[in-house]
Amino acid sequence: MSVSNRVRRARPSLGTFVEITARGDNELKLHRAVDRAFDAIDCVHRQMSFHESASDVSRINRDAYDRKVTVDPWTWQVLKTAQRFSSESEGVFDVTIARELSIWNYLPQRYRNVRKGNWRDIVLEKRNEVRFRRRVIIDLGGIAKGFAVDRAVEVLERAGVPAGIVNAGGDLSVFGSKSELVHLRSPNSPAQFSGALRVSNRAVATSATYFSRRSLIDGQTRRAKIRQLSVSISASDCMTADALTKIVFVLREKSAPLLVRYGADALLLKRDGSPRWIFQAHAA
Amino acid sequence: MNHIPQWVLPAAITVTVPLPSYAVQYLTAPAAQKVCFPECDQFVAAHVKFTPAQIGAIEAKSGQKELLRGQEIWRALQNGKLHGFFIVDYVIGKHLVIDYAVALSPGGTVKQIEILNYRESYGGEIRNPDWRKQFVGKQPGSQFALNEGINNISGATLSCRHVTEGVRRVLATYDVCLK
Repeated sequence: MSVSNRVRRARPSLGTFVEITARGDNELKLHRAVDRAFDAIDCVHRQMSFHESASDVSRINRDAYDRKVTVDPWTWQVLKTAQRFSSESEGVFDVTIARELSIWNYLPQRYRNVRKGNWRDIVLEKRNEVRFRRRVIIDLGGIAKGFAVDRAVEVLERAGVPAGIVNAGGDLSVFGSKSELVHLRSPNSPAQFSGALRVSNRAVATSATYFSRRSLIDGQTRRAKIRQLSVSISASDCMTADALTKIVFVLREKSAPLLVRYGADALLLKRDGSPRWIFQAHAA
Repeated sequence: MNHIPQWVLPAAITVTVPLPSYAVQYLTAPAAQKVCFPECDQFVAAHVKFTPAQIGAIEAKSGQKELLRGQEIWRALQNGKLHGFFIVDYVIGKHLVIDYAVALSPGGTVKQIEILNYRESYGGEIRNPDWRKQFVGKQPGSQFALNEGINNISGATLSCRHVTEGVRRVLATYDVCLK
């Protein structure tokens, strides 16, 4: 199918701007597919937003220590994946850093009596049910955007869109028959661009501390990792890319075994914007 | 199949050249009207120029300052029947100037939000009121040609809270002017 037409739209969601580009031949069909892809993004936002009081995340944060909370299957899927990344990174990735993010005012302080804990205090024994062993709180901000991007791409592909890109605040996925050029911001100056990646059928996520020096927290030490660099991960899906950026930002070269396992590539941009691959997966 | 991304350093973009702004036009207002109300055959302009009393009421209801002198509003009709309102609004953040559209049902609930034009700037010119004036009611012109070639960015973008706050103000405007 031709990709002569392009539809490009953006909406606020997931706390950022979500941009969807769909290429194909029928503009009306493309718009309809994009509508449905945005619906999927909104579903993720509604269930996984830390800020919306009716979301699964808020219900979990309010109640999971006191009783089991039933959640949407998508929320469950993200939590299971988060636990896997926590286990594989020995706790460097940990959604319970919501406590530290709140203390530092990166998240609003909405909960009282929050206790110190970690990812092992999240219990996912029965499908779609969550409970906490300690009174912890969670934030899925380090993984939910990537998941939302994957769901949106799935909608577009199922609708027969031949090519496109979904970009949620910099976590993006390129799908289909056309490659895209993805620019990376310079770590010490977000208004400048250090260069670009040519991406085809791959997801890319980037973590850096451009605007806020303390917002990347190491789940093991519970302290902010203050580095003037940017980490970009390319992986086969955006949720994986999203989660790995946090792990690689902290562990750098020590994350290589994890990158091998996921077939992910990691690109570091140093303070001066110069690029350094720390790992490149080999073609299968 | 694993597609290994290639690092590209286009000659036109070097580390030392800062781009003062990045801008994208997603939709024109007429295109956004069709996207938000595909079933409608007519969009009738019903723009409002605010009276001081209306501004006071909008500010009281929304808790925000009303910076615009009026609001661009269209009634979306199908066979003469009102299907909702299409409203264009503008928000200005520290590094952002965005125009966007809100589609409301006839009863004033938000059906859809679409960004029309997104502009990012770190050059400080956003704080200059004269610089801002050129955007109200207009489409971006060739001054944003500088960002040609930059289409997709990976790396933290800014929060959308200005837009979500703007939508609350637009809902107050609906209450005061359209209900």
